Amino acid sequence: MLLPQKLYAGWPIGKYRDLVIPSMFLYHQTDRFDIDGRRIKGDPGASFTSYSANLYVGYGLSRRLDLIASVPFVYSQNRLFDGRTITNRGLGDLYMGLSYNLVNFNYVRFLSFQVSGIAPLYNRKNPLSDLGYGNYGAETKLMYCGNLPKSIASKGYFNTELSFRRYFDEQGPSQVSLSAMVGYPVSRHDQFGLELLYLRSISSNKTFNANINNARDYSFFKPTLNYGHQFSRRFSTFLGGYYTPIGRNTGVGYGGSLQLIFKI
Amino acid sequence: MKKFNISFTPIIFFSATLLLLSSTNVFAQDKDDSDGEMFIEAKPRNKNGIFKGDDEISYKLNIKSTYKDKQEGKFKYVITTDEGKPVFRDSSNFSIGAGSSKSLNVKVNAKNAGFYHIDFMFNLSAYDDTVRKVFGLNPESVTSQLHKPADFDSFWLQTRQQLADVKPQYKVLERRDLSTKYKKVYLVEMKSYDNLLIRGWLVIPTDGRKFPVHYRVPGYVVELKPNMDNDDYIAFDINVRGNGNSKDVVHINTDNYNVTNIEDKNKYIYRGVYMDCLRGLDFLYSHSNLGIDTSKIYVEGGSQGGALAVVTAALDKRIKVLTMQVPLFADIRDNYNISASYKEQVVPFKMFRRYKASRAEFTWDKFFENFDYYDPQNFAPMVKCPVLMGIGLLDQFCPPRCSMSLYNHLGTTNKEWVSVPNSTHEVDLNYFMFQNLWIREKFRIP
Repeated sequence: MLLPQKLYAGWPIGKYRDLVIPSMFLYHQTDRFDIDGRRIKGDPGASFTSYSANLYVGYGLSRRLDLIASVPFVYSQNRLFDGRTITNRGLGDLYMGLSYNLVNFNYVRFLSFQVSGIAPLYNRKNPLSDLGYGNYGAETKLMYCGNLPKSIASKGYFNTELSFRRYFDEQGPSQVSLSAMVGYPVSRHDQFGLELLYLRSISSNKTFNANINNARDYSFFKPTLNYGHQFSRRFSTFLGGYYTPIGRNTGVGYGGSLQLIFKI
Repeated sequence: MKKFNISFTPIIFFSATLLLLSSTNVFAQDKDDSDGEMFIEAKPRNKNGIFKGDDEISYKLNIKSTYKDKQEGKFKYVITTDEGKPVFRDSSNFSIGAGSSKSLNVKVNAKNAGFYHIDFMFNLSAYDDTVRKVFGLNPESVTSQLHKPADFDSFWLQTRQQLADVKPQYKVLERRDLSTKYKKVYLVEMKSYDNLLIRGWLVIPTDGRKFPVHYRVPGYVVELKPNMDNDDYIAFDINVRGNGNSKDVVHINTDNYNVTNIEDKNKYIYRGVYMDCLRGLDFLYSHSNLGIDTSKIYVEGGSQGGALAVVTAALDKRIKVLTMQVPLFADIRDNYNISASYKEQVVPFKMFRRYKASRAEFTWDKFFENFDYYDPQNFAPMVKCPVLMGIGLLDQFCPPRCSMSLYNHLGTTNKEWVSVPNSTHEVDLNYFMFQNLWIREKFRIP
């Protein structure tokens, strides 16, 4: 059986089992969307690039309850129009929580709820540190996933998520996201996936910030195309690419990801 | 809403109340349908039909009529023990309008652990039928007496020694005609107890080097064929003597299989059958070169296969996990009592009673004297590995009480069971979905 790309989303991990997912992400932008969603050409020479390595670990505490944690290491370069470059590197925000499977529908589809806390792992008092908001936060997430209905496709799976995240600062932000993902196997070991993500970040601070790691008020719609290959029952990889065709007060971002999924 | 206070004769531990809810829905009716139909759904408050501790025991009946005319008459329900002894009955007038629906709530107060049959009977103007259900109360408190003969252990030790004396002479023949790109199929032959030739089917996924093993043992005179269903396990299906492709010497029909040499514990058919299952395990252990992960072998069986699986796990600790469904022959003495109330006999006592009736000199004492060596319940305390059991509450072949008696005697606390309320001698797809996850959990398989 192919591993779903977002196995660490709504699917219960399984009692006493581990999921370890090292991953790498690339984000780049030169152009941006203004506050009204109009596309604005970037200043010559200006760009923002973020490379991050992430380690996600999940452990099945019981058949329904999973403990999950994620630690990113971020390296970002913000090239300004005047030729200056602001570089940041270091650990980002720790993300840790519990996921509970509320209902399983005949072990074919799963409805789960996740509560997580967010804690900055960098020096919060350093004003030059742009690795995140520098604030604690919390997130709740409702997830529904499983096999695609047979009436739609004889194989394949889906995952949908609705989440709300709040950073504990007077400027927030508060973030709502909605994502839907479909994975479809094209062979015994290969699959393609398409994920559609809409994210709305709301804050009283409307200032445009090219650094996606600590921009506050913005929104975007981002489709991601993934290719997954299963090397063994315990190891799969996913390679993804994305683009941001629609946004508001954010960069016209694009990039990619590489995920290694180990089921132990 | 209409309430009926129903008086009843309290019978020790039973009482029940009936609540009729108002009719609210009118269903579309086919004008050409002169007769109409009645649809009755009886739902236990606990979906699996199992109640524990202080759970409220109740059923909700949804009745839908498509008759053109109002239906009037009696609604009755009777609660009986497994042996068919009535413990409570009640009735009331009942009517349902043309093309409409009604709900009834029946609440039962019961105290004693066990399983109870509850029959809902509608005797109306143009409709007369009964909906039969079974519910369980505190099944894990069901007790039974083991009738293990004093020399039970030495009998089986000696039997195993006799098996060990038979050289297996394994033959593994690849069947290219049955193999696929992703599965290699092998016909396996081996000599078993009494030097009998038995066969099995080994299916090895090509996609990997080492696999856990799904070792399946057969139901009553059921032919097992190559199991091509699973990509993550090696499947080994053994046909014990007289089953499937192991009929070279023992070739007995279903009516006589379980009474073959039943009067002699040393020659009884199941002595060899049980040893065939162990010989199959010997085969798996001696062929790790085929990719068999001998540390992860689980045995599975349904009905007679459930009994064989229990016995195999009890006698051979090389089995790491046991799953069984509706285990036949469990607590055979209690099965005898329960089956005595059946209007029509079913397996296994259908054969046992017929045999007994045909031999005046054969007594039930003699039967039990022999069968106590073979009752899977007597093997249950020897099972130490994790166990999953599935039962069907409407099962007459393996009454739930007998299965739970066996379960409660298992020598492990790492055990679970699943009740399928509307099944007879089977479990459902949902059970097998859970079983699949359960085994993966036990073996830590992704």
